[in-house]
Amino acid sequence: MQGGSSGIGYGLKYQILKFCLHTQARCISDVKADTDHTSFLTGTLSLKEENEVHLLRLSSGGTELICEGLFSHPNEIWDLSSCPFDQRIFSTVFSTGESYGAAIWQIPELYGQLNSPQLELIAALDAHVGKINCVLWWSSGRHDKLVSIDEENIFLWSLDCSNKNAQVQSKQSSGMLHYLSGGAWDPHDVNAVAATCESSVQFWDLRSMGKTNSIEHAHVRNVDYDTKKKHLLVTAADESGIHLWDLRMLKAPIQELPGHTHWTWAVCCNPEYDGFILSAGTDSTVNLWLVSTSNHDELPSESLVESPNQRANSLLNSYSDYEDSVYGLAWSSREPWIFASLSYDGRVVVESVKPFLSRK
Amino acid sequence: MSGDEVPLDEKARRMRDLLSSFYGPDPSMSPNPPSKFAPLDAINSNSFNADHYLNLLIHKSSLEGLLQRHVGMAAEIKNLDTDLQMLVYENYNKFISATDAIKRMNSNIMGMESNMEQLLEKIKTVQSRSDGVNTSLFEKREHIEKLHLTRNLLRKVQFIYDLPARLGKCIKSEAYADAVRFYTGAMPIFKAYGDSSFQDCKRASEEAIAIIIKNLQGKLFSDSESIQARAEAAMLLKQLDFPVDSLKEKLFEKLEQSLGDLQLKDEDISRCLLMSNDPSKLENHPESVAATVHEASVQEFVEAVRAYRVIFPDSDKQLIKLAQELVTKNFETGEQYGKKRIRAADLLAVLRMIWKEVLLMDEVLHESVLSEFSLEAVQITVKHHVASRFSHLLHDISDALTKVYVGQKEGMEEFPLQVALGASKKAVLQGSMDILLDFRQLLDDDLELLVKLRESILNWVQEGFQDFFRELHGRFLLLSGRNNSSGQVHGVVEGTQGDRILASLVLVLAQLSVFIEQTAIQRITEEIAASFAGGGIRLYENGPAFVPGEICRSFRSAGEKLLHHYINLRNQRISVLLRKRFTTPNWVKHKEPREVHMFVDLLLQELEAIKKEVKQVLPQGLLRRHQRNDSNGSTNSSRSNPLREGKLSRTNTQKARSQLLETHLAKLFKQKVEIFTKVECTQESVITTIVKFSLKSLQEFVRHQTFNRSGFQQIQLDIQYLRTPLKEAAEDEAAIDFLLDEVSVAAAERCLDPIPLEQPILDKLIQAKLTKSLSQSAVSS
Repeated sequence: MQGGSSGIGYGLKYQILKFCLHTQARCISDVKADTDHTSFLTGTLSLKEENEVHLLRLSSGGTELICEGLFSHPNEIWDLSSCPFDQRIFSTVFSTGESYGAAIWQIPELYGQLNSPQLELIAALDAHVGKINCVLWWSSGRHDKLVSIDEENIFLWSLDCSNKNAQVQSKQSSGMLHYLSGGAWDPHDVNAVAATCESSVQFWDLRSMGKTNSIEHAHVRNVDYDTKKKHLLVTAADESGIHLWDLRMLKAPIQELPGHTHWTWAVCCNPEYDGFILSAGTDSTVNLWLVSTSNHDELPSESLVESPNQRANSLLNSYSDYEDSVYGLAWSSREPWIFASLSYDGRVVVESVKPFLSRK
Repeated sequence: MSGDEVPLDEKARRMRDLLSSFYGPDPSMSPNPPSKFAPLDAINSNSFNADHYLNLLIHKSSLEGLLQRHVGMAAEIKNLDTDLQMLVYENYNKFISATDAIKRMNSNIMGMESNMEQLLEKIKTVQSRSDGVNTSLFEKREHIEKLHLTRNLLRKVQFIYDLPARLGKCIKSEAYADAVRFYTGAMPIFKAYGDSSFQDCKRASEEAIAIIIKNLQGKLFSDSESIQARAEAAMLLKQLDFPVDSLKEKLFEKLEQSLGDLQLKDEDISRCLLMSNDPSKLENHPESVAATVHEASVQEFVEAVRAYRVIFPDSDKQLIKLAQELVTKNFETGEQYGKKRIRAADLLAVLRMIWKEVLLMDEVLHESVLSEFSLEAVQITVKHHVASRFSHLLHDISDALTKVYVGQKEGMEEFPLQVALGASKKAVLQGSMDILLDFRQLLDDDLELLVKLRESILNWVQEGFQDFFRELHGRFLLLSGRNNSSGQVHGVVEGTQGDRILASLVLVLAQLSVFIEQTAIQRITEEIAASFAGGGIRLYENGPAFVPGEICRSFRSAGEKLLHHYINLRNQRISVLLRKRFTTPNWVKHKEPREVHMFVDLLLQELEAIKKEVKQVLPQGLLRRHQRNDSNGSTNSSRSNPLREGKLSRTNTQKARSQLLETHLAKLFKQKVEIFTKVECTQESVITTIVKFSLKSLQEFVRHQTFNRSGFQQIQLDIQYLRTPLKEAAEDEAAIDFLLDEVSVAAAERCLDPIPLEQPILDKLIQAKLTKSLSQSAVSS
């Protein structure tokens, strides 16, 4: 409700935009390669019905959220990410209920007609056995490699889009008793990937396919690298909120944010504005945080006894316009003050944080 | 003017005016300057116009008035005539007597001249006679004078010859002063003729003087002699040109030595305390040995100093230094003592002791400004004492809290949390009260030093409390926070035990924060207001001292935070439980449900443990809850209440409809407000929140899986079983119902073939589980 009023305060241009997928959904991704429009891709999660991938586009005036394309997808989509250098390519992780799969898709060139045109399959990432968690693209430029993570293994693929071919370049098991749950690719280092598992966050070097380091921190649900600041990693853990880490000092977080009332599901660093962090939680809210990360030298113990006021101040806004847990969250890279969020009931909410930018 | 005057004086005044106008040099100087507008009765003025007066009178007055006026005026005129007559008569009288006097003077002077001439002649003859006598006696007088001179010289020579013997006699009778006087009298002669005529005499007397010097030295150093005697000795020695400085130094060394014995030692203190602690003893032996030992020595020292000062009057500086040294050392001892864990009364006793000494010394050495000096020292001591009291209190509270650990690990007591909470509450309140009481003693004491420090003490106490609570707040966060980061490592390494204890500690801390906020601060504020008010003026200059509002705020937020932390910790454990449950089996290939899964037992056990903890620590809901709602008016909770009721009726009416539609609709209205209401510091609220959170977690876990029909049925069965105990545990039945339904819905959504178990089978399985758990509890009990 708060977001709504502030949106109106800044004119029609930044009002809340909503779009309903009418089925459950978990994932939304910014189409980074689309430089002309602010677009998002979402995939539905329906076990028993038809699943679709929606291409949503913000109209040029920013007043409407339009469904530009609707493509049927063979299975329910657990993860979706857009290719950072080609707006028509994206990856999905899907499940048939009994087994998992991952694939790279291309949106057909002529998708003007909205009657569920078929997606073109570029490559199936079919070397996985167990439950696949995510497919990662390197966000900082054209890179022909992909990383996919399933519960037990981490794969490095080399992708050849023109030949519609993906080859496993290397593969490494995460080790006994380490069930991976997700990950993120360091935008500053093409060889570094962070993978989350039950009790820690592991850092992988893709050249040697080995673990380089780890953060011993339980139940990390989501990680995100700051694209602006090197060495800054944000993690969201179920109960214990959000932590900011300096990759050079992994013993203790440099800052803690209380997170959400229930689990904190996803975190996202703003691609442009320093210190703006979004988090989504199962308490049906999206929180916007502002953290000052400049004081890296701050002792970790200080953050523990930090006064509650300071912490409260770092929460800029709580968007509560949702009716179910929010799982999907993405900043727009084209208009970095805009973010899209997706709650489980299939509702996409696009909002602007422009009113808060001045706080910085 | 005339109106102001008393009418009785009218006549006298007029007389005076008339007289003055007659004798006065200038009529214009008269007190009533003539004016045209003089009042009617200004009959005495120079400018009196009889016609005008009469006119006015006739115009103004009635006939009766005129007649009256006439009578009055006639009487006045008569009076004036008599007065005038009297004056003339008196003047005449005086004139006659004056002429008589002049006549008498004239006749007296006539015979004086001849008498004077006779006198002159007589004086002349007297003078000539006296001149004659003078000349005749002159020669004889000169002779006598010569003889007298010789006699004096002879007497001196005799004295010098007698000197040794006389000195010897003096030594015998110890009349050193006389001896020295004699000797110094003879000195010039010895100096002039010592080498020739009086050689023997000089030697003999020098020997005698040597003895005297020796004796005097002995006298100087002997403590048994009276101070006067010693001072005299020193003076005599000085007169004898004896090098006194070396003696002075010697004596000073002696003083310094005695200083070492004088310093306060712990035994002294403890002895002194023993006495002050035991008033009965004090009464029985008011001059008991213990206290007086030290005092006596101080007395001695003071006496010595006094003597020294008398003996060597120019030695103040050294003495002052010495005394200051002593006082410094004593105060240091006192300060050390003050840092120890003692009561203010003890400190007071020690301070009093020191102060007594200071006063004693101050008597002797006024210039040493010992009192100011010791004021500073006392300031430091008391400040340290205040600070140390607070740090001890902090320790006490921490100790009481850490007992939660110990108590739980040993598992000795039945309600370790309750005990710990009680102990720490007591530590906070009783400790603060004790401190206040102690400080009050400091304040109420009439010791001069402390009276001067009153203001500062007030401020220190207030500041002390402020800092203390700030520190306590930090300590709380640290206790919960630091253990948190290490606890996570523990949780992995050590397993459940560490986590659980931490959680209960956090719970105790949370409740303690609430207690501090609601009770302790208030009590302390009252107490401070009652007996420590007054530091207020300086308070603003030095920045805020004790600000209860600020502390309340910080503790309120700390309480809430800790409570949340507790809930979080508990939920983490439940999450681990649920995660294990949901990640281990392959749900797609689940077998048909045969019984309620045992994770339900674990969950209920966990809840039971929480309930036990919470019951020990947190207050019962209802009553307090209302208070809080009223006072706080939190939008969250107040908003949720009507909705909750609305939901109840809604669920009842819509029961018939399909479950899914109902929950979807219901979701629209209240899910958010329902589940994530504000947590309150009551048993019910906390348990309900935890139950809600764990059900929400359950839902999230379910949503992450895909089930086959049997898996779905298993979930359905488990949920059905959970329904009753959970509703019993939590107060918000509607929300629990709703969440349980949500879990079922989520499972149905994630199921490939969601066909629920039939009711009879469901009932049967649940019944089986119930009897099994019953029998189990029977066996265990």
